[in-house]
Amino acid sequence: MFEPTEQGKDVFTHGGVVLRGANTREDDAQSTGTLNIVEYSYGKCIEWKPVEVSVVSENQDQDPEWSLVDSHTRRTRTSSEGPDSLGRARTVRIMLTDLKSFRVHHGGQQLILMQKDGTTYVAFFQLSNAENFVNSMKAFMKLKRSRVDKNFYHVMDEFNPVLENSFSHLDLFQENTSDYVWKFVRNLHNRPYETTLEAFSKLADIWLYKEPVKRPVEEAVADLLNRSLTIDVPHPPVSVSSGEEYEVIGDAGSSVVLPPRPPCPRGAPLSQEQWDRFKDPEGRVTNPKAVREIIFRGGICASLRFEVWKFLLNYYPWNSTTAERIELRKKKTDEYFMMKLQWRSMTPAQENRFSDYRDRKSLIEKDVNRTDRTRVYYAGDNNPHLAQLYDILMTYVMYNFDLGYVQGMSDLLSPILCLMDSEVDAFWCFVGFMNKVSTNFEMDQAGMKAQLCQLNALLSVTEPQLFNYLYKNDSGNMFFCFRWLLVLFKREFNSIDIMKLWEILWTDLPCKNFHLLVCAAILDTEKTMLMENRYGFTEILKHINDLSLHIELPWTLSKAEGIYHQLMAVESQLPDSVRVIIGLEPLNKTPASDLEDESACAGAHANGENSNGIRRDSDKSENVKFGNNEVSYERGLSVSYI
Amino acid sequence: MAKTYDYLFKLLLIGDSGVGKTSILFRFSEDAYNSTFISTIGIDFKIRNIELDGKKIKLQIWDTAGQERFRTITTAYYRGAMGIMLVYDVTNEKSFENLKNWIRNIEENASSDVERMILGNKCELTEKRQVYKERGEQLAVEYGIKFMETSAKSSINVEEAFYTLARDIKAKMEKKLKEASNPPKGGGHQLKSSEPQRKPPSWITRCSIL
Repeated sequence: MFEPTEQGKDVFTHGGVVLRGANTREDDAQSTGTLNIVEYSYGKCIEWKPVEVSVVSENQDQDPEWSLVDSHTRRTRTSSEGPDSLGRARTVRIMLTDLKSFRVHHGGQQLILMQKDGTTYVAFFQLSNAENFVNSMKAFMKLKRSRVDKNFYHVMDEFNPVLENSFSHLDLFQENTSDYVWKFVRNLHNRPYETTLEAFSKLADIWLYKEPVKRPVEEAVADLLNRSLTIDVPHPPVSVSSGEEYEVIGDAGSSVVLPPRPPCPRGAPLSQEQWDRFKDPEGRVTNPKAVREIIFRGGICASLRFEVWKFLLNYYPWNSTTAERIELRKKKTDEYFMMKLQWRSMTPAQENRFSDYRDRKSLIEKDVNRTDRTRVYYAGDNNPHLAQLYDILMTYVMYNFDLGYVQGMSDLLSPILCLMDSEVDAFWCFVGFMNKVSTNFEMDQAGMKAQLCQLNALLSVTEPQLFNYLYKNDSGNMFFCFRWLLVLFKREFNSIDIMKLWEILWTDLPCKNFHLLVCAAILDTEKTMLMENRYGFTEILKHINDLSLHIELPWTLSKAEGIYHQLMAVESQLPDSVRVIIGLEPLNKTPASDLEDESACAGAHANGENSNGIRRDSDKSENVKFGNNEVSYERGLSVSYI
Repeated sequence: MAKTYDYLFKLLLIGDSGVGKTSILFRFSEDAYNSTFISTIGIDFKIRNIELDGKKIKLQIWDTAGQERFRTITTAYYRGAMGIMLVYDVTNEKSFENLKNWIRNIEENASSDVERMILGNKCELTEKRQVYKERGEQLAVEYGIKFMETSAKSSINVEEAFYTLARDIKAKMEKKLKEASNPPKGGGHQLKSSEPQRKPPSWITRCSIL
């Protein structure tokens, strides 16, 4: 945002709009404001201004029955004074020249505004319909409705196609288009026939399959010509850098055709009544499988969560009696306090000679103070729950010193402690949770890398078009999903949704790694926006980061389950790399390396797949999952990666 | 519609966990400080546009997770960075000692001619200080890097630091451009000057053969 030094002129104002962006926090996401189009000398902006309603109390003379409600718009920037000027509810300004596209969502209740750099805002229209705002925007910019998605509008750049560039084109220190032009000229000299054919194949590439949108031929050609004239080739959608190879033209992954996605309605949460019925007179849970199925379909009702999580997280065995559980809890309490005493009794001198311990301790101190502090349970100075958070994490260090403490763990513990409200119970539930996800936190990050690979392999079947798109845009490494996986979507959903999502994932239904299908479902929802906007490496990351707190959980879960059924319908045709992800036995049509999760990944990219019938571009198989621009760092990573 | 920027600079904030990288970025991009920050997982960036000598510069500033084991992921995003802020916490000796590792990390993963700057953050916490300013200055001299003490909380030197880094990048870039181009005829694309060893000196003229 440029800070305007002048007063802008409001050309259009639309009230009753809540705006959410990446900075919005759960608790202040409800600020209402106005969405305006404002004209400055340097151009027009879309501006969202919060309306703050404050009670003015200075007017002592007034009738005490009445107080003056002063509705005013806040200043653009908070003053630099004051230790806690919250970064909430400030004016958001989007230059029209920065706007890439927008999408009308939910029958006009929402408007998703996407910038060229991937920054994404969602405007919620409380009083009226987003279509009104869109109509007024039409007066100020040229819009083009997407052919794929009728709610998606491209903002056309009327003046200068060069302006359409995204960030990375201005990167100064990288291989650039001049190299490409050089290569082309050189190739034309050396092998005119192949080079010409290659150029044609790229043209064909655009028409036939590369583009997410079925574009009219003349437009694609004009586009290509434009680009060659301006010598400013944007990364998507033509892969210009793979100069030496020919490309296979066709629909990658087309040999595994998934059937239509079946609808998978969500269900009601596990109720107290149902739960009671599942327990025998001694308190054993008689049919854990049926309980899990209900939870998978609808979660657990809020008041029961506290009890059922202990089973889901393997703190209490399903077949234990009430009496046994009381006994177990006693034992676990003693065990907890014994471990707690181990670090509590460490002397400062001991600590001085124990740097590994000191490092873990200092990390925990830092993170505890910045974990969910906007939640009432952890808010305020000297909150006793922070001390509990600290104690549990420190005790976990003694429980599993090799793993120690890694950032992200406090995020996983926070909802558990909040729910259990007991140090001991929270600790043992946390242990159960960590047992499920500890590989995420290992020093070499092998677990994370394996999952990113698996997600990529999954997409090759569920979203071949997106898979190709990501590959061509240097994002085949799936790094933009890192946060999702590391803390199991903790940063992406609000505090209620995350509890529901976690308990569903803990059921291990309908298959293992269901969380990867959840990733695939979210990406399925976003793929049109990623591809229509022709987002590159940087913008993809930004767009995905900015989804935080506006992903719809029920819809995503239905979709993820639907994807599971789609995969199962063609189960026998799936490559082993995908079969093992969803818990099926490998068919061993490919080299034995496919058996293990991690090498399955390498197999999926190297050579394993062809025999399983998925066609790949020739350059793809050689370059593993990195785009050509990333070769330099691929070398740095490959040692640990494969 | 005016063009929104003349140059785009990609900057990185790196340093140990908890030294205040996100706070510095938030102070610079939003001019605010929030005591309830959350730790950064993975990587993200923010944008601020500034003006230098009449040029509109878009700063794309990347904020990274500090913990060592996440480096394989975060270094992937070092590519193309033109400026790096190395941040330590003046109340934390260890974060200062680790600067050497971070500098090595840059040498291994970032472009060799990236502009660097050292920031000693949290300088408002005078009573908790463990690293004196002189030591920061000395280290900076050793590496030939600029240095500033900052406070994201009290808004000290944050603007100055980013403007300084941006100015240095701009100067370096303009120098490069001057060296690289016997001014090309086309104009407007000088921005894309490449690294010297690969540079075709007059590719635009050659291109016109096409």
